[in-house]
Amino acid sequence: MTKRQTRAFFYAGTGVFGAIFIALTIDSHRQFPTLTHSDRITPAVIAGKHVWHRQNCVNCHTLLGEGAYFAPDLTKITQQRGAAYLKAFLKDPSKFYSEERDRRLMPTLALSDREIDELIAFLDWVGRIDTQGWPPRPILVTGAAIPGTEAVGAPPRAAASSDPVALGEALFRRTPPGCSACHSTAPGVNVVGPSLANAATVAAQRVESPDYHGKATDAAGYLRESILDPNAYVVQGPTFSSGGRSLMPSDFAQTLEPRQVDELVAYLMTLR
Amino acid sequence: MRYRTQAVAYPYWVVALLLYGLQMVFGLLAIVKYLGPDPIRAVLPFDVSKAIHTNLLIVWVLTGFMGAAYWLVPEESRTELYSPRLAYWQLGLFTAAGVTAVVGYLFRWTAGNKLLEQPYPVKLAIVVVMLMFLYNVGMTIWRARRLTTTEGVLVAGLAGAAVLYLPALLEFDNYTVSIFYRWWTVHLWVEGVWEMIQGGLLAYLLIRLSGADREVMEKWLYVIVGLTFISGILGTAHHYFWIGVPAYWLPIGGIFSALEPLAFLAMAVYAYAATRRSGLAHPNRMAVHWTIGSVIYSAFGAGILGLAHTWPSVNRWTHGTMITAMHGHMAFFGAYVMIVLAVVTYAAPILFGRPHEEHETAIGLWAFWLQIAGMFGMTMAFATAGISQTYLERIIGLGYLETQQKIQVHFLMLLATGILFAAGVALYIYDFFFLVPRGHREPTPWPAAEPVEA
Ligand code: HEC
Ligand code: HEC
Ligand SMILES: [Fe+2]
Repeated sequence: MTKRQTRAFFYAGTGVFGAIFIALTIDSHRQFPTLTHSDRITPAVIAGKHVWHRQNCVNCHTLLGEGAYFAPDLTKITQQRGAAYLKAFLKDPSKFYSEERDRRLMPTLALSDREIDELIAFLDWVGRIDTQGWPPRPILVTGAAIPGTEAVGAPPRAAASSDPVALGEALFRRTPPGCSACHSTAPGVNVVGPSLANAATVAAQRVESPDYHGKATDAAGYLRESILDPNAYVVQGPTFSSGGRSLMPSDFAQTLEPRQVDELVAYLMTLR
Repeated sequence: MRYRTQAVAYPYWVVALLLYGLQMVFGLLAIVKYLGPDPIRAVLPFDVSKAIHTNLLIVWVLTGFMGAAYWLVPEESRTELYSPRLAYWQLGLFTAAGVTAVVGYLFRWTAGNKLLEQPYPVKLAIVVVMLMFLYNVGMTIWRARRLTTTEGVLVAGLAGAAVLYLPALLEFDNYTVSIFYRWWTVHLWVEGVWEMIQGGLLAYLLIRLSGADREVMEKWLYVIVGLTFISGILGTAHHYFWIGVPAYWLPIGGIFSALEPLAFLAMAVYAYAATRRSGLAHPNRMAVHWTIGSVIYSAFGAGILGLAHTWPSVNRWTHGTMITAMHGHMAFFGAYVMIVLAVVTYAAPILFGRPHEEHETAIGLWAFWLQIAGMFGMTMAFATAGISQTYLERIIGLGYLETQQKIQVHFLMLLATGILFAAGVALYIYDFFFLVPRGHREPTPWPAAEPVEA
C-alpha cells in the first residue's frame, strides 16, 4: 500500500461512517418523542431537570445508568418509592439512613418544597422512558440483606401456580410495586414501613382499636384499605409518615389491577 | 531545541503536571469517601471531589496536548512559532478558566452534567482558548508552508476536539436528547479525536526514538486513524444502550465498539514494527519506557477492558457499575496520560540542555514503575469490585447499600494501590521540577539529524 492509498482509506472510512452516523441521528430524532414520551415533558419536568443539574446529583447517582457509582441508580425510583416517601426523604435523608449503619449518607440538600416536587416530576418522567427492558431486574436502594426482604424474583412455586397466595407473594417481592423495598416480613424489622411479619394479626387488632376510623370491618378489609388508601389509617413510627400523611405510595388503586390487590391481601392474610 | 519558541511548551507542562498532582488529592479523597463514614461530607461531599477529580484530568491532559503541539509544530514545520506571546496568553486564560471551574465546584457552582460540569462562562472561555490555539498553530504552519502528516494528524485531532466541544454548549429539555449529544463531546473526544492526537504523538515519538523511516510511519498512521474513526464514530452507540434511543443502536454499538480495539492493536503493532526495524537505541530510555508503556496500557485498558463490557447482553448487567470505572481509569491513563508524559520525558532533556542519557534517574524509574503498578492494582480493584457489584446487586438483587458494604475490601485495595500510584505521580513531578534543571547547561547539539524527506 502506498501513503496515498492509506490516506484515501482514512478519508473514505471516516466519511462513510460519519454519514451513516448522521443519518441514524436524524432517524433517532424522529423516534425520540415516542420513546421518551416527550409529550409528558411538562414545565415541572424541565424545572426538575435543572434542579437535578444544579444540585450535581449525577456526580453521586446514576440515572439511566449514567453518572457516578457512589449512590444508587434512580431510574425507576418513583415507581419503587412513590412521591410521599421521596418528598420526606429529600427533605432529610438522615431520617431514613444512618452513616454508622450504611457507611455513607446522602447530604441534606437545601431543597425547597417546590424544587422537590419538580425533581420528583422529572424522575417520574425519566422512569417512563423506554429503556429496552433495562434494568433487567430492579435495582434496589436497600433490601434483601435485611431479613425478610429477600427479593429473589418470584418464588418458584408461583411460576406455574394459580394460587392467589403464591401470586400475591411474588407480586409483593417484585418491583414495581416494590412492597418489599419498604416492608420486611421478618418480625420487628422496620425498613421504611412497618414489618408485616404478623400482618393479619395486626390488622385484626387495628380494626378493633378505638382510634381506628376507617371503613374496614375485618382484617382482610383493613389490609385492602391499607394498600388502596394508606391515609385511611396512618401507623405511627419514625419513618412512617410526614405531616400526618403516610409515606406509602397512594396510587396503588390506579397502578394495581383489582385481581392483584386480591392476591396481595390473600398473601398478607397468611402472615399471622 | 532546534527552535527557540519550542520552549513555550515548558510552562504548559508545568501547569499540566501541577494539576496532575492536584488530581491525585481529589482521587484519594473520593476513595476514602467510598470507604466511609465521611466526616467532611457537609463541606466537601463526594460529588464535588469527583467532579474536581475528573475535570482536573481533562484540563491537564488538554494542557499537556497543547504544550506537546507547541513543541512539535515548530520542529515539524521547521520554523519558529507564529506568536509565543499569544501562546502564553492562551495558557493564562486556560489556567484561569480551569482554576475558576475547580474553585467554583467547591462553592457548588456547577452545570452538573457529567464531565461537562463547567459553568457556561467557563465553557465559553474554553472555546476562546481553543480558537487562540488553532489560530497560532495554523498561522505557524501557514507561514512555513510545510505540513507533515504527523503534525497534521495531531493538529487535526486538536481542531476536532474544539469542534466537538460545541455540542456541550447546547441545552435540551429532553434528558435523553441531552445525553445523546453529551456523548458527541465525550465519546468522540476520547474514542475519536483524542486517539488521533495520541496517534500523532506516538508517530512523532517513534520516529524520534527509533529513527524509523518517516514515510513508512506516516503511511501507517493513516491506517491507525482510519481504523479509529471507522470503529469509533458508530462506536458512540455503546453509550446509547438503555437510555431511550431506538433499539438499532444496540447491535451497532456492540459491533462497532468491538472493533474499537483494532486501532489500539494497530498502534501496538506499529510500535513493535518500528522498534523491530530500527531498534530502540535512543539514549533517553525513560522516554522509551513511557512510549512503549502507553502503547501496551492503552491496548489493554482502552481496547480489551472496553471490549469486556461493551456487548449489549453483558452491558445489560454491568451498565452503571464499577466495571465502567475499571475501564475508564486504565484507558485514560494508558492512552492519554502516558502519551503526554512520554512527550514531556522525551523533550525535558532537550529543553534543559542535558544529555539524554542522564535523564534515566532512579527516581524517574520509580515514578514510572509505581504508576504502572499502582494503575494495574487499581484496575484490578475496580474490576473485582465491579464484578461483585454486578453479581450481588444486579443479578442476585441485593440492595445497593448492602452490596456496597460487602465489597468494602475492594475499596481497601483501591486505596492501597491508589496510594502507590499517587506516590509515582509525586516522584514524576519531583523529578521534573527539581532534578532535571539542576544541571542546567548550554544546549547540546541536536542529535543526529533525521533523514530529510521530500
Ligand atoms: C454526595 C452524594 C449524593 C448527592 C449529591 C445526592 N445523593 Fe441521593 N443518595 C446518596 C446516597 C449515598 C444515597 C443512599 C441512601 C443514603 O445512604 O443516604 C442516596 C439516595 C437517594 C435516593 C433514594 C432514597 C431511597 O431510600 O429510596 C434518592 C431518591 C436520591 N438519593 C435522590 C437524590 C437527588 C434527587 C439528588 C440531587 C438533588 C441527590 N440524591 C444527590 C448520595 C447523594
Ligand atoms: C415507599 C415505601 C412503601 C411502599 C413501596 C409500600 N409501603 Fe406499605 N407502608 C409504608 C409505610 C410508611 C406504612 C406506614 C404508614 C401507613 O400506615 O400508611 C405502610 C403501611 C402498610 C400497611 C399497614 C401496616 C400496619 O401495620 O397497619 C400495609 C398492610 C402495607 N403497608 C402494605 C403494603 C403493600 C402490600 C405494598 C405493595 C403493594 C406496600 N405496602 C408498599 C410504606 C410503603
Ligand atoms: Fe465510548
